[in-house]
Amino acid sequence: MNKRSDRKMVEVKGLHKSFGELEVLKDINLSVSEGEVVVIIGPSGSGKSTLLRCINFLEKNQSGEIYIDGRLIEHRDSHINKMRQNVGMVFQHFNLFPHMTVLQNVIEGPIQVKKMNKKHAIIMAEELLDKVGLADKKNEYPAMLSGGQKQRVAIARALAMQPKVMLFDEPTSALDPELVGEVLAVMKELAKEGMTMLVVTHEMGFAREVADRVIFMDDAAIVEQGIPDDVFDNPQNERTQAFLGQIL
Amino acid sequence: MVYDFSIIIEEFPIFVPAAVQTLKITAASIVFGVVLGLVVAFGRISKFRLFYYPATLYITVIRGTPILLQLFIVYFGLSEIVMLDPFPSAVIAFGTHNGAYIAEIFRGAIKSIDIGQMEAARSLGMSQFQAMRRIILPQALKRAIPPLGNQFIIATKDSSLASAISVRELLLKSQQLGSSTYRFMEYFIIAGIYYLIITTVLGFLVHRLERRLAVSDRL
Repeated sequence: MNKRSDRKMVEVKGLHKSFGELEVLKDINLSVSEGEVVVIIGPSGSGKSTLLRCINFLEKNQSGEIYIDGRLIEHRDSHINKMRQNVGMVFQHFNLFPHMTVLQNVIEGPIQVKKMNKKHAIIMAEELLDKVGLADKKNEYPAMLSGGQKQRVAIARALAMQPKVMLFDEPTSALDPELVGEVLAVMKELAKEGMTMLVVTHEMGFAREVADRVIFMDDAAIVEQGIPDDVFDNPQNERTQAFLGQIL
Repeated sequence: MVYDFSIIIEEFPIFVPAAVQTLKITAASIVFGVVLGLVVAFGRISKFRLFYYPATLYITVIRGTPILLQLFIVYFGLSEIVMLDPFPSAVIAFGTHNGAYIAEIFRGAIKSIDIGQMEAARSLGMSQFQAMRRIILPQALKRAIPPLGNQFIIATKDSSLASAISVRELLLKSQQLGSSTYRFMEYFIIAGIYYLIITTVLGFLVHRLERRLAVSDRL
């Protein structure tokens, strides 16, 4: 979109990661500017989810540096916890807290982590739930919601921390096809508002329409990146061509 | 007739003090066991060897030896160092015994919570401790209730072993009355009925709690 600034919200420098012998990320360098929407595509096992999870330290990277909004994140709990307040994460399997109502899910972070007062948190949560179209579900438990509704609550829960960056890890992959649209609509709205987003997805339509930049990953590395039209219509690398040929 | 079952009805009320004693041992060793079990469960899931190894050793020893032996060690064995009365000996021995089983119940329940729950909590910026207290434990405790109820029923029945160190609970009472009247069967049946009442009520209460806490799973 056009609200992009030069401020780097996420910077990944020389990131390596392996599970035992298997290298899952090889020398990843990546930066995301404020307001930019970057979509990561690629075959399964290419390392795209691991990259996302490394950025908020759900996976510990073996080497390399990660900067969030210009700050180097050190491998210390205090640093990591502080950083995570600025980095919202949306998971493939929603991971809503099943013992809490929708509203409680959304206010949990602000109250427990930011020590926001409850009244204030509730007002904000209700606005967010309204934004994702679920104001009327606030007193329901997650078990009563559809997958699409759950994922929209999960997005509201992440937004309640007022993050600077949102990470989406295959947010629609666990949804029935007819529920994908409602989640993508919320994400599009967010992108339009200027949220900095890093999205791992198989939704090529979304990537083409919303992304400022598309990154193609394969075999633990970034193979190719560029604006959607270039990557989709005129891929340079043969692995990108092969991948797109299979799915488009 | 050999048996005189009218004794069961006539003498039923005189067992009340013994039943109270059974309840007291059971309740105290359950409370003891739950507190100990929770602490040990955290030791068992800890990455720190200093916590993991002692917790594991404790569970291995307690589960691998008979409860009656454990009771004798506390009451007779420790008497060289500290002379404990029968009642506190029973509570300590049974509490320690239950703690080992309850620790494994808690550990299993905590482990059964999807890893995504911890990740979601941590990704909001919660500390490990906050995530455990606010997100994991409430779900795990709920899941632990059915096996805990089972363990409480076992604890009720195991309390009868305290008769071996002369705690005047249900079993000892029935033995004493039986041997002084040669009406063993009648008095054992009375004790049996009391145990059955206690375990049935306990089972019912646990089931009710389970249903009350299931509100968030109901569709």
